[in-house]
Amino acid sequence: MSALPSLLAVASLPAEAGLNHYLLVSALLFAIGFFGVLLRKNTLVIYMCLELMLNASALAAVAFSRHNGTIDGLVLVFFIITVAAAEVAVGLAIIVALFRLRHTVQVEELTLLKN
Amino acid sequence: MFAAINLSALQAAAGTNQWMAIYPELMLGLLALLLLGLELVLPKAPRALIPTVAIVGLVIVLVGLGINFHTAFLNRDTFAGLLHHSDGGQFMRVFFVLSAILVCILATVTLDRQPVSKVEFYHIVIVITAALMLLVQSNHFVMFFVALETVTVGFYILVSYFRTSAYSLEAGLKYLILGALSSAILLFGIVLLYGVAGSAGQQGALPGATAEPMNFGALRGFLAANPDNFLANIGAVLVLAGVAFKIGAVPFQVWIPDVYQGAPTPVTAFLAVASKAAGFAVLLTLVLNVFSPLQEVIVPVLSVMAAATILLGNLAALSQHNVKRLMGLSGVSHAGYLLVGVIAGCREPLAVGAVYFYLLAYLLASFAVFMVMAHVSGSDDADQDLEHYANLARERPFLGAVLAVGLGSLAGIPPLAGFMGKLLIFIAAFKAAAYLPSLYWLLLVAVAGVVVSIYYYFGWIKAAFFPAWRPPPMAGDAAPPVIARVGLTAGVTMVVLAFASVILGFYQGPLGAWLVTR
Repeated sequence: MSALPSLLAVASLPAEAGLNHYLLVSALLFAIGFFGVLLRKNTLVIYMCLELMLNASALAAVAFSRHNGTIDGLVLVFFIITVAAAEVAVGLAIIVALFRLRHTVQVEELTLLKN
Repeated sequence: MFAAINLSALQAAAGTNQWMAIYPELMLGLLALLLLGLELVLPKAPRALIPTVAIVGLVIVLVGLGINFHTAFLNRDTFAGLLHHSDGGQFMRVFFVLSAILVCILATVTLDRQPVSKVEFYHIVIVITAALMLLVQSNHFVMFFVALETVTVGFYILVSYFRTSAYSLEAGLKYLILGALSSAILLFGIVLLYGVAGSAGQQGALPGATAEPMNFGALRGFLAANPDNFLANIGAVLVLAGVAFKIGAVPFQVWIPDVYQGAPTPVTAFLAVASKAAGFAVLLTLVLNVFSPLQEVIVPVLSVMAAATILLGNLAALSQHNVKRLMGLSGVSHAGYLLVGVIAGCREPLAVGAVYFYLLAYLLASFAVFMVMAHVSGSDDADQDLEHYANLARERPFLGAVLAVGLGSLAGIPPLAGFMGKLLIFIAAFKAAAYLPSLYWLLLVAVAGVVVSIYYYFGWIKAAFFPAWRPPPMAGDAAPPVIARVGLTAGVTMVVLAFASVILGFYQGPLGAWLVTR
């Protein structure tokens, strides 16, 4: 029992999360999204991964904005959210139209266009 | 944490909102809305005139831009530094309106054969055009990102516009996924640059740190003070990767053949010409201005990219039978030549004018070819085969001649405009090679690429001019598409495009002088 508090102390987070922690999370989210886009087969999951990448950028922008004391990053976040919403609106419409026509959203079955 | 809102600073910023400076973009926005309004209020019969309204409106904006080319806003920032007006930007504005007119004319030929609504197509084309014009004039990364995304989201819709065609939708989906991926990469690069450059007034701030890290000029100042900063270099490379996707440079060219084949022919033309030209205009701003302190890193990356793009584009185009894929892959190789021009621009100012001239020659030749493609293609827009061109020159000598001029100019046959474009870029690259020896290798690759490209362009001309033996049609074979009748507008446009390609090869006149001395 006595070893546990010291172990926790070593592994515990600092009292306040700093810029680097936010950037680490942001980079992780970006990497998860990126590899998800490359590796997943379902179009909808790929789409979620794309959104994850945009949100990773938004998180980093907020963290930088807070750290640097400049407001541009927060303004950029508003535009990121708007753009993401527009992309989702158009993207889901395309996916639904494609599903109606082909009855699948698996990328390995969407191979009409190839060499 | 933020400074209290400074009213006088806000007033000063609002004072720079020179709405007259973006008059053409505002006019285009109103024109786009007007089209939708007309669709709502007009009875059925006169609605067929709406495309004409779109074309006439675009022509008026083009004329206005031409008359007012040397505006009072040249070399000034407006909108608190969001936009910067330069004569290169003016050239690109004219370029985009011109390509929008041609896309609309192409659409009048193609859309009639499809069961789709018409007016929205013109609406989106015009909105994209306005966004492209703002994109090339942006001087701030927020403006840059928003304009770029407006263009990209508009293109998602246009690419999948034939929503009863599985090809068009599949192309739309592929463009959507890869386009959004590249946007996300570009955005992450912007955020990294913003974070590194914006630590002014903080403890441990880097030298040159600025309170306006999204502004191109301020960012350039920061990069000049810290050319070795790791994060800043990563950010710049990520931003350039996002732009490289738009121009279709290797390794970001995977989407090009599929999307070009599936997209409606006018959209393929719009992507091939306007989207790519916007990518290069942005690349010129970024490489020669904003990221110029990082050229030690950027120039080698771009050089490898250019060589790979020229080789891969040309080699992949050799085996294509679908003409839309052929145009796409040969467009990849054109992006490679243009990249050589951008690299040369780092040392030789002539190269910038050469890139603009090349883009103009590419516009004229590409639209001539796409016009012919729009007439030859049948109702199945994605299936446009080289075989459909057999006997074209005998049955339709006019279309055959326009096709020959367009393809000849794309291949760079003297004395056509495409040849002059390549020549100017190669001369600029040769001059710059005195400072950047790797350009000698690139020139070698580029010349080899031009030689290879002659093979497949002339394969197409051969298909149109020399009848090949064809097996007698079998029972199950699809009949070749019927070649559409050439309307008055389309015919006049093709004549103008072909003649412009020829004349611009002989005589560049004031345009050439302006491009070379600017």
